[in-house]
Amino acid sequence: MGLGAKALDTRGRGIPFKFYTAYYISLYSKMRARTLRQLLQGIEAADANTLFHHLFHTIRSKHLIPPRYTNDFAHWVGEEVGDEELAAALSDISGAEPATIEDIRKELVAVLEPHADDRAGKSEFVFVAMEPVVVETSYVAHTLADFLDLVEMVPGESIVYHFVTRRVLEGTGRNDFSIWLEKNFGLSEVAEALSRIDPLMYNSEESLRGDILKTLKRYLL
Amino acid sequence: MLEKYAQFVGEDEIDAIVKLAQRLEDLSILHVNSTAAGGGVAEILNRLIPLMRELGLRADWKVIRGDQEFFTVTKTFHNALQGTTSAVPEHYYSIYEKWQEINANELDLDYDVVFIHDPQPAGLVKYRKKGLWIWRCHIDLSTPDPHVWSYLRRYVSQYNLAIFHIPDFARDDLDIPQLLIPPSIDPLSPKNMELPQTAVERIVRKFDVDPERPLLLQVSRFDRAKDPLGVVEAYRLAKRHVPDLQLVYLGSPAHDDPEGEAVYNETLKAAGGDRDIHLLMLPPDSHVEVNAFQRAATVVMQKSIREGFGLTVSEALWKRKPVVGGRAGGIKIQVIHGVTGFLVTSPKTAAHYTTYLIREKRVREEMGNAGREHVRRNFLITHQLRRYLMAIAYAAKRHRV
Repeated sequence: MGLGAKALDTRGRGIPFKFYTAYYISLYSKMRARTLRQLLQGIEAADANTLFHHLFHTIRSKHLIPPRYTNDFAHWVGEEVGDEELAAALSDISGAEPATIEDIRKELVAVLEPHADDRAGKSEFVFVAMEPVVVETSYVAHTLADFLDLVEMVPGESIVYHFVTRRVLEGTGRNDFSIWLEKNFGLSEVAEALSRIDPLMYNSEESLRGDILKTLKRYLL
Repeated sequence: MLEKYAQFVGEDEIDAIVKLAQRLEDLSILHVNSTAAGGGVAEILNRLIPLMRELGLRADWKVIRGDQEFFTVTKTFHNALQGTTSAVPEHYYSIYEKWQEINANELDLDYDVVFIHDPQPAGLVKYRKKGLWIWRCHIDLSTPDPHVWSYLRRYVSQYNLAIFHIPDFARDDLDIPQLLIPPSIDPLSPKNMELPQTAVERIVRKFDVDPERPLLLQVSRFDRAKDPLGVVEAYRLAKRHVPDLQLVYLGSPAHDDPEGEAVYNETLKAAGGDRDIHLLMLPPDSHVEVNAFQRAATVVMQKSIREGFGLTVSEALWKRKPVVGGRAGGIKIQVIHGVTGFLVTSPKTAAHYTTYLIREKRVREEMGNAGREHVRRNFLITHQLRRYLMAIAYAAKRHRV
C-alpha cells in the first residue's frame, strides 16, 4: 500500500511545506452563561473565534491526565452543571472535514436545545474569543521524507495550526497537510485519509500527532 | 539568560519568543508601576525587563512617585476596587490627579508602547502624547465599588487595550479589547529553584516541624480572604482521620495591611494551643523557606474565599504538590478538579480531599506530576513574556505573518 521508503525523496512539483506555529491571544467576549439556557444562547450568538476557542481549546491544553470531555462546553455541563449524559453528547459531536465552524455550531445547538433549561453551573461559563498569533518556524519540508520526519518533530502547536486552525478558522476548507500532499505529489488517497481524522475527538496535540503520523506511515512507508 | 529556560519549555518556545521579538524590535517599550520592590508586579518586572532587553527590545521600567497621602488614596482605591472598603472621601480624587500630573511631568512617557500596571498610575494616560497604551490590571475587578470604578473607568477607556488575569475580572462596561493573560512564576528564582532534600529537612526542622509526618501547608497572608480559620477547621477535621497530621500556615507581615495582626490573633485563638499547628510569620524575603515548606508539604491548601490569582498555587504545583484550593479567582484555572488537585467550597470538602490525598500516595504523585506539567505549559515567566509580546503585536496589528 505504501509508496516505499525509496520513493520518499521525491520533491514532487517542488513546492516546499513551510511549518508555521500559532499561539493564541485570549480575548474577553462580554458573554457569560449561568444556566444551560444561557449557554445555548451564547453558543448561538458567539462569533467563530469564540466557538473555535472553546471547541479546540482542549486539544492544546496538554494535561498529563487528559480531561474527560473534549471541549469546554461539555466540560462545563459535566463538571459545573453535573449533567453527565448531556456532557458526553456535547463532547462527542463531530468536527471532521469538511465541517465548518457553522456546521459544528448547528450540531451543538441540536444536542443542547432540548435540554436547555434553567439549571445553573456552580460558576459562570465565560465566553472567551481567541486570535491566533502566527509565527514562522525554521522547519521546512521539501520531500516526503522531510515531511514525515518533521511531522514527528515540530512543536505540537504547529500540528494543530496546520491541521485545525487553518481549516476551521482561516477558512482553507481542508487541512494544510492534505492540500500539500495532493497539490505537490498528487497523493489523493493519503490526503483523504488524513481528512477523515476528526480533531474534535482529541484532547492532546500529541495524540492527534500520533494518529496523523500513523496514517502517513501507512500510506507512505 | 533566556536560554536557561529552554530546559523547562523547550527550544521551540524560546525560538518563537525570539521570532516574535524580531517583529517588534523597532518599538520602544515602557512599563510603569508604583513600586520597585515588594509585591508580585515588581517581582515579575524585575525578571521581565532584562529578558526583553536580552531579546534586543528597547524596554524600560519606571516607577511613579508619591507621598504617603497619595499611597493612602491608592490603597483605598485598591480596596474599593476589590470590593472590600466603604466610602472614599471626595478629596481623594484630586490628590490622585495631582500626583498623576506630577509624575507625567517628571517621567518621559514618549514610548511606542506603554504598559501601565494597576490603578496607581492609570491616570497617566491623560498625558499621553503618542504610542499604544496598555492597562495591565493585576487585581480582582469583578465586584468593584461603583463610584471608584466609574472614576477609574474614564481613564481606562482611553487605553488601546486592557489585560486581566482571568475572564471573571474582565468588564462588560469597557469598550476596549480585553486580553486575558495570567501571571507567572520564575522557575529559576530562589522561591522555585530546586533544593537539596537535606536543605528542605534542615529548614523545616528549624521551625519544629517534623519532615517525617504528614504536612498540610498554606502559604498566604493572614487575611480573611484567605480563610485562615477555615484552614484550621479543615485541618481539625482531617486530623480525626490522620492523627499525626501537622499544619503550617506561613505568612508574612505586610505594612499595607493593618488587619494582618488582628487576623493572625484570631487564627492563633482558633489554633487553641495545638502543638501541631504552626502559624509562622516570616519576613517577606523568606523565599528559600517558602520553597522548602512547599517541597516538604504532603498537601498544599489555598482555601481562599476571594483571590486575585494565587501564584502560591502555581508555586506548589511546580513542586509536584497537589493543591486543595478554594473555588475563587485564578485558583480555578490552576487547580483542575481531579487533575492537579481539588476545588473546594467549605472546610468539610477541604478536609475530605486532604485526607484522601494523604492516604493515596499514588494519586498524590500523579496529580503532582500533572500539576507541574500544567504550570510548565502555562504559568512560567517565558509564557508571560511571550504573551506580552503577543499583546504588543496585537495592539500594533503585527500578529499575523
